[in-house]
Amino acid sequence: MSSVPGLQADCEELLGAFQEADTVRFERFAELWRERRFHTIFYGRIRALERNKLTKKTLELAQQYFLPPYAFQIRVGALYLLYGLYNTQLCQPKQKIRIALKDWPEIQRFQQDLIDSQHYDAAYIFRTLRLARAFHFTAMPKLLNYRTRKKIQENEFKEEFKDPSNRVNSLITNDVLEELMNIHDHYQKMKCVISADRSQPDKALSLIKDDFVVTLKNITLEHQEWQQNRMKLFLNAKETDEASNKKEEETLLESEGSERANALARIKYRSYSAVVEVS
Amino acid sequence: SIDVLMPSDKEKDPDVIPGDSSLLTLRIRKKALERREETIIVDRACRQETLAYEMESHAIGKRPDNPTDLVEEGELLLTLNIFYPVIFQKHKDHKPYQTVLVLGSQKLTELRDSISCVSDLQIGGEFSSQPDQAPEHISKDLYKSAFFYFEGIFYNDKRYPECRDLSRTIIEWSESHDRGYGNLQSVKMEDYTFNDLSLKIGFPYLFCHQGNCEHIIIITDIRLIHHDDCLDRNLYPLLTKKHWLCTRKCFVCKMYTARWVTNKDSLAPEDPCFFCDVCFRMLHYDAEGNKLGEFLAYPYVDPGIFN
Repeated sequence: MSSVPGLQADCEELLGAFQEADTVRFERFAELWRERRFHTIFYGRIRALERNKLTKKTLELAQQYFLPPYAFQIRVGALYLLYGLYNTQLCQPKQKIRIALKDWPEIQRFQQDLIDSQHYDAAYIFRTLRLARAFHFTAMPKLLNYRTRKKIQENEFKEEFKDPSNRVNSLITNDVLEELMNIHDHYQKMKCVISADRSQPDKALSLIKDDFVVTLKNITLEHQEWQQNRMKLFLNAKETDEASNKKEEETLLESEGSERANALARIKYRSYSAVVEVS
Repeated sequence: SIDVLMPSDKEKDPDVIPGDSSLLTLRIRKKALERREETIIVDRACRQETLAYEMESHAIGKRPDNPTDLVEEGELLLTLNIFYPVIFQKHKDHKPYQTVLVLGSQKLTELRDSISCVSDLQIGGEFSSQPDQAPEHISKDLYKSAFFYFEGIFYNDKRYPECRDLSRTIIEWSESHDRGYGNLQSVKMEDYTFNDLSLKIGFPYLFCHQGNCEHIIIITDIRLIHHDDCLDRNLYPLLTKKHWLCTRKCFVCKMYTARWVTNKDSLAPEDPCFFCDVCFRMLHYDAEGNKLGEFLAYPYVDPGIFN
């Protein structure tokens, strides 16, 4: 058997409920866990060999949600899920969680983020898992096995769990904008130096728009807002038959978007002041 | 402040699936269990399953008596699948293999010594006229050469003077015409450990011995050694999984493992035919030890001998 039947649905259901709860507190997750009595997922008369395999597959599935490209809240939920599954497993000695070497820097960054945003419960849980030696440090995330697959399984991730992938934003990042700003300043200064009038560049040298960096920023901000609106519409359309309010998800998206918007606004402010200095 | 709200507060029997579960996994599993109860009369682990579980877990947590044999932290653990060379019809979909755990600091020769292949035990020669004089020399002692092939380099076993460089033929062949195989080199196996190699996971490599017995080796996993693993260096390379091969029994008594195989035997109903030692002598030789009938007899080593 290449995957545990029903397991993905159960995990996604739990993580979905956690996402809707719009919090990253462990108490909330523990309530959801207890509601579903998730620890019974290992029950049923399973013999030792099969139980080892089953537990390995369960941990592997849960581990996938712990890594990017999933949203921050989902990753924290996955961390709690791993903690719960690792501690409630029935195997003796306990099956470990496999993390690939390439993913470790990302996970350490994640832990640093947790500490910086003062989500101390999640950081503590991660530290407990490390101390309990729950991880295997491996070269590849999945253990290979050699049976001919009857069909190739496409791993479908739920769309709502993913961070909305913003290609424009990942291209025009804060760093890129800063660089552009610096180069632009430099360019303006060079023009001033070589033109006759020291205080401003020659008219013949004005080949580009002076405020193109600001314009670029505005365009990316617009794009991001458009994408957020589209996500909202998408979610609204998807769940029109449910009476529950989607405010939590909208605010979640907005809060993520607002982090980036804040960062961009900071750059905008600095660039306005810089423009004033040059001209 | 975190209370360890471990959700498993009630001590329930882990064998019983709760009836009102909201988890899809459990509902599916319950149906499967019920189906199993209806169809299987005695639900117990068969001996293959017990063997497989034992092999996987017998070495977990072991510590050596001698502290110098302790595996150090930061040691790499490789999992290799070594495939059997048998080509049976029924193995078309999945070839049988054995799984070996190897430490990164171990030499290639240690792995070579731990691979047990039935072709090493073959005894060459036809012995119908002198069944009592089947020699003691097995092929392992006679033909000691072997090589590994990893990433374009052949690692030859050169520990004994009679070992030859089996890979030389291949290297000469690839260099004779422009066959597009790049630069193949040949080095000594005993100088290298696994840490010195650069390997691809999941890529098939080769182990060849006895001149033409080839095993495919695939590395399935590389990870750091863990506190719960076996930390006794002497136990590595550690066999964790083995394919169970059925032994061929004697045609006559159907009880003992076959030790002789005959061809063109006028006294046997099929060609080739397998016999255990006792039945072989009783059928083919009279009381004085004279050969009865025409046949060719070879000593036979069954692949299931390592069970």
